[in-house]
Amino acid sequence: MSLFVEIFTTSLTPMVFLYMAIGVLSGICIGALPGLTATMGVALLLPMTFGMDAAQGILMLLGIYCGAIYGGSISAVLLHTPGTPASAATAIDGYALSQKGEAGRALGTATLSSYIGGLVSVACLWLISPLLAKLALKFSSAEFFLLAVFGLCIIGNISGEDVEKGLICGCIGVLVACVGIDSVTSYIRFSPEGNYNFMGGINYIPIMIGLFAMSQAFENIESIFEEEEVQAKLTNILPKKEDLKKIIRIAPLTGLIGTFIGIIPGAGADIGSFVGYNVARSIAKEPELFGKGSVEAISGPEGGNNGVTGGAMIPMLTLGVPGDAVTAIMIGALTIQGLTPGPMLFSTNKVLVYTIFLGMFIANTLMCLFGFAGIRLFTKVLSVPKVILTPAIFVLCIIGSYAMKNSLFDVWVMLIAGVVGYFLAKVKVPTSPAILGLILGPMAEKNFRTALLKSGGDPSVFVGSVIAWFFIFLIFISLFGGKIKALLFQKKN
Amino acid sequence: MKKITALALALAMSLSLVACGGGDNKTPGGSNAGGSGSNAGGSNANAGGVDLSGLSVTCVVPYDAGGGTDAVMRGLADAAKGSFKNITVENRSGAGGATGMLYGAQAKNDGSIVTMITVELATLEAMGNNAGLTYTQFKPIMMVNSAAAAITVKADDDRFDTLEDFIEYSKTNKVQVGNSGIGAIWHLAAAGLAKTAGTEFNHVGYDGANGAITDLLGGHIDAVAVSYAEVNSFVQSGDLKVLAVMANDRLEAIPDVPTCKECGYEAVLGTWRGLGVPASTPDEVVDELYRIFSEAAESDAFKEFMANTNNVIDIMDGESFNTMIGEQLELYTGLVEELDLKIG
Repeated sequence: MSLFVEIFTTSLTPMVFLYMAIGVLSGICIGALPGLTATMGVALLLPMTFGMDAAQGILMLLGIYCGAIYGGSISAVLLHTPGTPASAATAIDGYALSQKGEAGRALGTATLSSYIGGLVSVACLWLISPLLAKLALKFSSAEFFLLAVFGLCIIGNISGEDVEKGLICGCIGVLVACVGIDSVTSYIRFSPEGNYNFMGGINYIPIMIGLFAMSQAFENIESIFEEEEVQAKLTNILPKKEDLKKIIRIAPLTGLIGTFIGIIPGAGADIGSFVGYNVARSIAKEPELFGKGSVEAISGPEGGNNGVTGGAMIPMLTLGVPGDAVTAIMIGALTIQGLTPGPMLFSTNKVLVYTIFLGMFIANTLMCLFGFAGIRLFTKVLSVPKVILTPAIFVLCIIGSYAMKNSLFDVWVMLIAGVVGYFLAKVKVPTSPAILGLILGPMAEKNFRTALLKSGGDPSVFVGSVIAWFFIFLIFISLFGGKIKALLFQKKN
Repeated sequence: MKKITALALALAMSLSLVACGGGDNKTPGGSNAGGSGSNAGGSNANAGGVDLSGLSVTCVVPYDAGGGTDAVMRGLADAAKGSFKNITVENRSGAGGATGMLYGAQAKNDGSIVTMITVELATLEAMGNNAGLTYTQFKPIMMVNSAAAAITVKADDDRFDTLEDFIEYSKTNKVQVGNSGIGAIWHLAAAGLAKTAGTEFNHVGYDGANGAITDLLGGHIDAVAVSYAEVNSFVQSGDLKVLAVMANDRLEAIPDVPTCKECGYEAVLGTWRGLGVPASTPDEVVDELYRIFSEAAESDAFKEFMANTNNVIDIMDGESFNTMIGEQLELYTGLVEELDLKIG
């Protein structure tokens, strides 16, 4: 108890609350703008923490992290523009729901699910982090490979009715990800001689902006002068009883799964949200609604991606090993303060560790409050006529893709992806599998090769651990689960 | 309807202003903090003919955020932040550092893009997987720090108590040694040690030292050969132990750990890190950058930062640095040929 007294009197001062509120608010803005990701937001504001003390600095960064992962869903729901890759899965059903005029309901669901996911992960971080930390070290190349393959299996579930088209699109994503210098042998693939733009590989964020937002803007042009009144209903901002039931069934579970994904070094919120979508679909009461504006389909990925935030902190604080790109930067922030994340931190800086736990809880609560308070404001975007909104989206897309790496090459990539995405939508090819392929393809390839390198070419490493078998089981279920279910039911009848 | 439209527009504008404001905020803060420094240096700069205080500088780190190179660059950038309009650090990792360095070598030559050039500038070319990258594409500004390879194993690994144990074991068994990327310095350092000791290791490459250390902690590989700074926290916590360092003298931080030389293996190999700009950059810009960054490197804040992160400051001016890079290229080309490691 005295520990909490100490925390509240020494480190959780009103000033810290202010910094956290600033962090969460700027996080939500950064997240909502396409192209500005959580990683970038944290890296951008990192120099500001140099002058603060350790608790102030790290809690502000945490606020940005939680805010940005949530903020991405606002633009995903309203404009079909995932602000960060972590919201790509939310865009599918969130936008469908907001097209029906229920943007308020979609945002309310997203906000509450994010909060629940965040809370579950904070609870795990607080109560069982030393236990879970060990799990992070159990993962090696073979397990990463199987995780990536499992992730790729999700393509089947996010493709809507046309699985074949989804698979084709996923393959295109994997192929595009092959461009550039191969990370195992440094062989240069599909790159014009001496062009470092291609050598560095094609970044998936401009592609995501192009496929989702730019293609949507192109489509808007077709009907730009039609006065189409999508009246945003704002009656269901606080989820109604039936929605609440669905959210409570799904978000805590996907939050927990997100936490585990966060713990795995190298797997971040983007993977967490796709896995969350997948899980939500398999346990949903109304799976037939997926892709058409289902509350369950929003709740799943939103619980999943915010679950990752607390999960990624676990190996960082307990082992000094970053759980994702954001926590890698946070390690830097702590190091600069003269603190070393890792097992020693718990014994030498107990107050700071518990301040971080408590601060993360507060950051999530602030995120939820700001979210609900802002929904009325956010949805006003929908009343903007297309003549104004569409050019604004064009500008945002270009700024967003340029801002990633200050590279015009990325703007071209975005524009090409936008044109391709427009035509893909015309022939009803779902585009989110391409994003999944782009994120997971390189992860699968690199880890497959490293695993074999380590084993001296012996493929038995892929079945050599409990975790490996666990993923093989998951892969099997996601590929054949539906078939088996159908067979079983047939027999019964 | 019109009212709502106007409101929404105003809102969008103010939101974007807020967002932009967030980014800009650090500029005034940064220049305030170092205001006196840049003023004091102002007269000097004018004497040299170039004033870079209005320049926005991007420091390119060719490795992931959170690694050793990244930490040194971020510390130095922070120490130098008062001398420019603003200064940001950007990670462009991949291909053992080639991606980021190629980007930096082909960047604008007005000093706005400063690249952390590391020993890989020499090793990648020696290996032949440099993708056209060569050290003559850069005009080095200065060397900032250097670090020797530390052969590190798990603390509870009973097979190895000394470097001799490790070498003897590797002669009859296959040992997995993790490094920060194939052809990168820690790979060559480990290979160089194996050559001197007349044994062989199985080298496993990762994207940066972080992945290798995590895999060692999990017991998936037997050892890593990376800099001491990168394993320090795990040595302190008792998870890992260093068997030997490939330096000329023992490290101050771990005086009990012998050098490879002491153990009878003539291997002195390690990394160095410095700053470089494209070769076509005007000399006066380079001189001014040298003045700013060497001042920053000698600041108390940076010294404290480097001590905190267990990095050794090792400053060398641009000219001698350039000569040294040339010598290193020769050394590694010879090593790669002897070991038959050449890829391309």
